[in-house]
Amino acid sequence: MTSYADTRDVVGRPAAWWGMLILIASESTLFGCFIGSYYYLRFRSATWPPHGIPEPKLVVPLILLAVLLTTVVPMRLAAKAAATGRLAATRLFLALALVVQSGYFAYEVHDFSDQLHGFDITRDAYSSIYYTLLGADHAHVLLGVLFNVWLLGKLTRGFTRYRIHATRAIALYWYAVSVLTIVVYGVLLSARA
Amino acid sequence: MAIATPPNPAAAERMERLELIWESRPGILGWLTTTDHKRIGLLYFWTTLALFGAGGAEALLIRTQLAQPNQHVVSPQTFDELFTMHGITMIFFFIIPMTTGAFGNYLLPLLLGARDMAFPRMNALSYWIFLASAVFIYTSLFIGKAPDAGWFNYVPLASKKYDPGHNIDFYCLGIIFNSIASTLTAGQFIVTILKSRAPGMSLNRMPLFCYAMLAASFGLLFALPSLSADTIFLFLDRNVGTHFFDPSHGGSTLLWQHLFWIFGHPEVYILIVPAFGIATSIIPAFTQRRLVAFPLVAIAELLVVFIGFGVWAHHMYTVGMPTVSMVFFAAATAMVIIPSTIQVFAWCMSFVTGLPTFRTPLLFIAGFIFMFVTGGLTGIMFVAIPFDQQVTDTYFVIAHFHYIIFGAAVFPIFGGMYYWFPKVTGKLYFERPGQISFWLIFLGTNLLFFPMHIVGLLGMTRRVYTYPSGIGWTAYNLAETIGGFVTLGGILVLLGNLAVSYFRGPPSGPDPWRGPTLEWTTSSPPPEYDFAVIPRVTSAYPNWDPADREADRLKLADGVLMLERGHEQPEVTPVDGRLARVAHMPHESPWPAVLALALALLFTMLLIDRWGTAGIMGIVCLLALVGWHMQEPEEE
Repeated sequence: MTSYADTRDVVGRPAAWWGMLILIASESTLFGCFIGSYYYLRFRSATWPPHGIPEPKLVVPLILLAVLLTTVVPMRLAAKAAATGRLAATRLFLALALVVQSGYFAYEVHDFSDQLHGFDITRDAYSSIYYTLLGADHAHVLLGVLFNVWLLGKLTRGFTRYRIHATRAIALYWYAVSVLTIVVYGVLLSARA
Repeated sequence: MAIATPPNPAAAERMERLELIWESRPGILGWLTTTDHKRIGLLYFWTTLALFGAGGAEALLIRTQLAQPNQHVVSPQTFDELFTMHGITMIFFFIIPMTTGAFGNYLLPLLLGARDMAFPRMNALSYWIFLASAVFIYTSLFIGKAPDAGWFNYVPLASKKYDPGHNIDFYCLGIIFNSIASTLTAGQFIVTILKSRAPGMSLNRMPLFCYAMLAASFGLLFALPSLSADTIFLFLDRNVGTHFFDPSHGGSTLLWQHLFWIFGHPEVYILIVPAFGIATSIIPAFTQRRLVAFPLVAIAELLVVFIGFGVWAHHMYTVGMPTVSMVFFAAATAMVIIPSTIQVFAWCMSFVTGLPTFRTPLLFIAGFIFMFVTGGLTGIMFVAIPFDQQVTDTYFVIAHFHYIIFGAAVFPIFGGMYYWFPKVTGKLYFERPGQISFWLIFLGTNLLFFPMHIVGLLGMTRRVYTYPSGIGWTAYNLAETIGGFVTLGGILVLLGNLAVSYFRGPPSGPDPWRGPTLEWTTSSPPPEYDFAVIPRVTSAYPNWDPADREADRLKLADGVLMLERGHEQPEVTPVDGRLARVAHMPHESPWPAVLALALALLFTMLLIDRWGTAGIMGIVCLLALVGWHMQEPEEE
C-alpha cells in the first residue's frame, strides 16, 4: 500500500474540494433566496408571526443548535486524520459525528411534525416560508448524514486517495451546513424580535 | 502542429498506449456511457440544434398568425403555448446549452490544454439531465398542456386559480429539472477552468473564450438558485396549498417578479457573454493580431455578469416601486454600458489595426457587433424610466431583446459553427454558400426585428393574438413575417453547407486559419486524449509561439508529460497555473444516464401528484449515486 502522506496537498486543493465548494455556493444562494423571501414577506405583513401562530421557541432550538455545532469538531478531526493516513481515527471521528448528527436529525423530524399539528404549512405566507426554510435546512442535514454513512461504508475497505479527498470534501460540506443552520435559526428566531 | 508522426519508436509506443487507454467503447453503448468532453459536446450540439428547430418553428407559427390582421391560423390557447414555449426553448433549451453545453464542453479542455473536464462523469450527467428535461417539457406540448403564461410566468395568471391544468406544473418542474443540468455544467466549468489548465497557463495567459465561459458559469451558478426558489414556491402554492404568492393570506405577487428577475437579468448576460467569448476567439484568427486591450476585455467579460446581478428591477418599472429604487436600478443599468463599450471598442480596434479577411466566421462577428450596438442603443433608451414605462410590454421591447438575443448571442453561435467546423470534422466548409448564408440571415433578421420597433411605438403590445386592420400595423407585420422566413432560408443554407461539407469538403488539416489558441495545435478532429503531450504555454496565444510548439515536439520525443500510464491529467494551482498533481480521471460510466432517467421519473411522479412513488424514485436516485461511486479512479 502506498503512502498517503503526499495527499496533504503540497500545492493547492484537490478538484473534489473545489467541486464541493461549488455545491455549497449553489445551495447557499438558494438559502439566500429563501431568506430574502422571508424578509420580503415579513416587511409586507402587519404582524409577524400572524395572530394565532405561537412565536418560535427559543431555548430548545438553541440547545439543539449547540449540539449540532459540536459535530464540527469530530468532522474536522476526521479530515485531519484522513490527510495523515490514520484510518482508524478517521472512522472513529466520523462515526462519532454521525451518531450526534443522526440524533439531531431524528429529534428535528419529530419536532417538525409536532409543529405541523400546531399550525399547518397551508395556513398563510408565514407558515409557508417558515416550514420551507426549516425543511430545506433539515434536508441539508439529512444529506450530510447520508454522506457520512456512505463514507463510513467506503472506509470499511481502507483508504484510497479518492476516499481521502472525499473525507475532506464531506467535512467541508458539514462546516457549510453548520453555518447555514446557524443562519436559518437566526432568521426564524428573529420573528420573536 | 499535427502530432500524427511521432519522432521516434519509443514515442510511437507511448502514443499507442495513449490511444488504447483513451479509446471509447464502440457503438451506441459508447455514446451512452461516454465521458469524453468532445462526445458530450456533440450530443449537446445535436440536441440543442433540434430544439432550436422546435423553437424556430414556434416562432414562425407566431409570425404566420400575425402576418395579416384578424387571422386564426392557430387558436388563442395554442398561441399562448407557442410564445411561451418559444421563449423557454430559445433561452433554456437552445442558447444556454448551445453555448455552454456544446461549444463550452467541446472547446474548453482544448483551449486549456487539458484532456477532459474536471468531473467527466458529472459532465455526462449534465447532458442526460438536460436531454430528459427537454423531453419532459416538450411532452407537455404534445399532450396539449404546454406552459401558457409567458416565459416569465407571472402570478397570479400562473396560479392554480387562473391556470388550473398541468401546464404551469410542467413549467415549474421542467425549469427546476433543467436548472440542475445548467448548474452542473456551470460548476464543472468553473473547476475545470481553475484547475485543469495546462501547467504554465497562469490566469493572465488564459484565452478570452475561457474568461467568457468563466463569467457565464459564475452567472449561472448564482442566478439559477433564485429561479429554483421561485419555481419551488409556485409549485408548492399550486400543489401543496402554500401562500407565497397569495395576497389574501399574506403572500405577495411581486415576490415572484423579484425572484424571477434576480435570475432573469443576469440570465440575459449569461446568454450573451459566451457569444463575446466566441467573438474574441474568431477576431484574432481572422485579423491575425492579438486582441486589443486583452486584460480590459477579460475584466469586462466578468464585470458584465457581475453588474448584471444588480439591475433586475429595471424589468419592473411599471409595477409601482418607490422612485428611489427605480432610479437606483436605472443607474446600475447604465453602468453596464461601460464594460460593453470597452469590448465593442476593443473588437473594432482589432479590425482596424489588424489585417481582417472577411471569411464567413468574421462576417458573422461583424454582423454581431452591428446587431449588438443597435440593440444596445435601444437598451440605453430604457434607462430613461418614463420612456420605459411608455413602451413596456410593447413590440419595442421585443425588438430590443431580439436584436440582443438573436443578433448578439446567436450570430456568434453561427460564426463559431463555421469557425470550428474544420476542427470538429477535419473538413473545410464552402466559402461562397457560407457568405450567402450570412447575408440572408443578416438581412432576414433586420427585416424581421427592425419593424418591431415601429409597431411597438405605434402601440402594438407583445403577446397579442391578433389585431384589427386599418391601424397601420399590417405592412410592418407582413415585413416581419417575410423577414422570419428569409432568416429561415439563411439558416437552412448554413446547415446545408455544413452538411455537404461534412461529406464533400476538402480536408482542413489541423490549423486552417492559423488560429491563436491550443485547439489548433492538435489534429482535426482531435484524438480522444486531445493532446499527446500536455502543451507548453507561455502566452494567451500559444499557437503563435513557435518555440513552445517545438518544445512540445521535443517533449513528445522524450516522453515528457505524456502521462500515458492511465487516464491522467495535470491539476494546477488556480491562479499561477503551477503543476499541483497528476489526477486520475474516471472514464466511461453508465451511471450518469441511469441517474438522469431516475430523476426524470421522479419529476414525472411529482407532476402527477404521486408523492409516495416520487419518494421511492428519490431513493433510487441515491442508490444510483452509490453505484456511481463504486467505480473509483485507478491508482498507480
